Amino acid sequence: MNAWLRLFLLALAALAVFLAALCLGPTSLLDLPRFFELLRDGPSTPELERASLVFWELRLPRVLLAAAAGANLALGGLLLQAIFRNPLAEPYLLGLSSGGALGAVIALAAGATSVTWPALAGSLALAAVVLLFCRRRIAADLPSLLLVGVALGALAQAFTTAIILRFDPGALRSILFWLMGSFAGRGWSEVWMLWPAALAGGLAIWLLHRPLDLLALGGESAHHLGVRVPLLQTAGIALAAVLAALTVAACGTIGFVGLIAPHLTRKLVGAPHGISVPGSMLVGAALTVGADLAARTLLAGTELPVGVVTGALGCLFFLALVAGKK
Amino acid sequence: MKSEPELQLETRGLRAGYHGCEVLRGIDLEVRRGEVLSLAGPNGSGKSTLLRAVTGLLPLHGGEVRIDGIPLQALSAKERARRCAVQPQVEAPLFDYTVGQFILLGRHPQRHPLALATARDRDAAARAMEQTDLASFAGRSIRSLSSGEWQRTLLARALAQEAPLLLLDEPAAHLDAGHLFALHTLLRSLAREKNCAVLCISHDLNLAAEFSDRMLIMSQGRVQATGTPEEVMTEPNLREVFACKALRVGTNPFTGRPASFFAP
Repeated sequence: MNAWLRLFLLALAALAVFLAALCLGPTSLLDLPRFFELLRDGPSTPELERASLVFWELRLPRVLLAAAAGANLALGGLLLQAIFRNPLAEPYLLGLSSGGALGAVIALAAGATSVTWPALAGSLALAAVVLLFCRRRIAADLPSLLLVGVALGALAQAFTTAIILRFDPGALRSILFWLMGSFAGRGWSEVWMLWPAALAGGLAIWLLHRPLDLLALGGESAHHLGVRVPLLQTAGIALAAVLAALTVAACGTIGFVGLIAPHLTRKLVGAPHGISVPGSMLVGAALTVGADLAARTLLAGTELPVGVVTGALGCLFFLALVAGKK
Repeated sequence: MKSEPELQLETRGLRAGYHGCEVLRGIDLEVRRGEVLSLAGPNGSGKSTLLRAVTGLLPLHGGEVRIDGIPLQALSAKERARRCAVQPQVEAPLFDYTVGQFILLGRHPQRHPLALATARDRDAAARAMEQTDLASFAGRSIRSLSSGEWQRTLLARALAQEAPLLLLDEPAAHLDAGHLFALHTLLRSLAREKNCAVLCISHDLNLAAEFSDRMLIMSQGRVQATGTPEEVMTEPNLREVFACKALRVGTNPFTGRPASFFAP
């Protein structure tokens, strides 16, 4: 089947997931006659007013936010996997999640109410330290970047734990929920933060699709074919770091999406970046929206952090991948 | 007066290496259009380092490199890639592209980053696939290829670049006898008919002597011998460079070219 046709089918599937996520939840919005009534008369009854409120203020921003977060993480993963020529690379390797968590808990300890900007500062700061450490050997040296990312991430985690222990139990629960990643309690302001990043980032990466193809297939060969490899690597890592840091700041740590989505995309539409860039945005968005739908509907009356669902999905995906290879 | 063929690659006193350790200690090299130059030498003598230095992958410690008469540093990445194609040593592919997609990527230096492939790009890729016996492989995944097929795919991508200078790092390492012969015939015809300059690293001295116009033997980062195969393939030269007293030099009974033998 033609790759672009497969991309189109993928877009339809993603759209179906988005629609399902918009309709399903503790307040079901599936009642079509009521929906048409709403369109015709406006929110005339208290019940309809409530449904309208759920849709505009809870459901829609939540689905949009999850979609943008997933697209950002998938783009970051796709970019880093090409740059490091390693299918195991993903944005959190740069220490972003630990840095974001540290920034967030420092802000909470200082009495802040919103953690978005402190978390962004923490993520970017830690990523910058990791990159500065590896600057001399950035020539696609994934192992040393990984080691530095893990080491500094562990240090940041130690500080985070030390600070958390001073919190009262209520604050502890909310910071734990934040650390596991969640779209609950976020609104339009986070949507406006992540969507422009996802669209601009996707476009920038798509414009680089052929140099990324060349780099993914060999660093020296890419140089021989006229790609300015160090420049592309530096720009790509910085872009992946910014996209993932924004995501961590807006919704906490959502593991595995940056790792699974590029794999799944290459299986579904193929490896060339001209098509896998839009493909991975769709796959990442659909995965995350789907995981969030599961997180808020699986257990009646309570909500799981979405990171728990993506973690479980990631585990199943990789076990299936290994089993399929045998 | 007939002028000398154009000098496509030239190095003067080239010195380069890794982390302060000098591997190349003053290399003078010339490759002209229309000729095949084979580069031989023991393991670790600096052959691949030379290839990396002349293509700008390694910073030079001294000396100069000119491609098409222009100093290497004065060429932008794409200008260099339009003048010089490289077949690197084999490295297993990680991602699934088809052979056709992979070879078309060889047209990158000629294309605007966002331009679709033109008829000329597709022709060049198709021709490169013909030349490397890959015409029926266009839809195959590069991860399903044998080492020899993958090596031919790498060569095809370099050919699709249509650069006047072709640098090959052990292009014959994984090839069977039939494709080995086809490869060397192809290199010679590229030099003769397309007026390319070809530099080929080879461990097979006899093939190098059979098919190249000139040979260059390196040892410990220096040029040990250079000239026609007859001038280079002498017993004293080979025995010294390869530290092997059992090496003997005779002639190929069918072509009269020099050939080396082991006489333990």
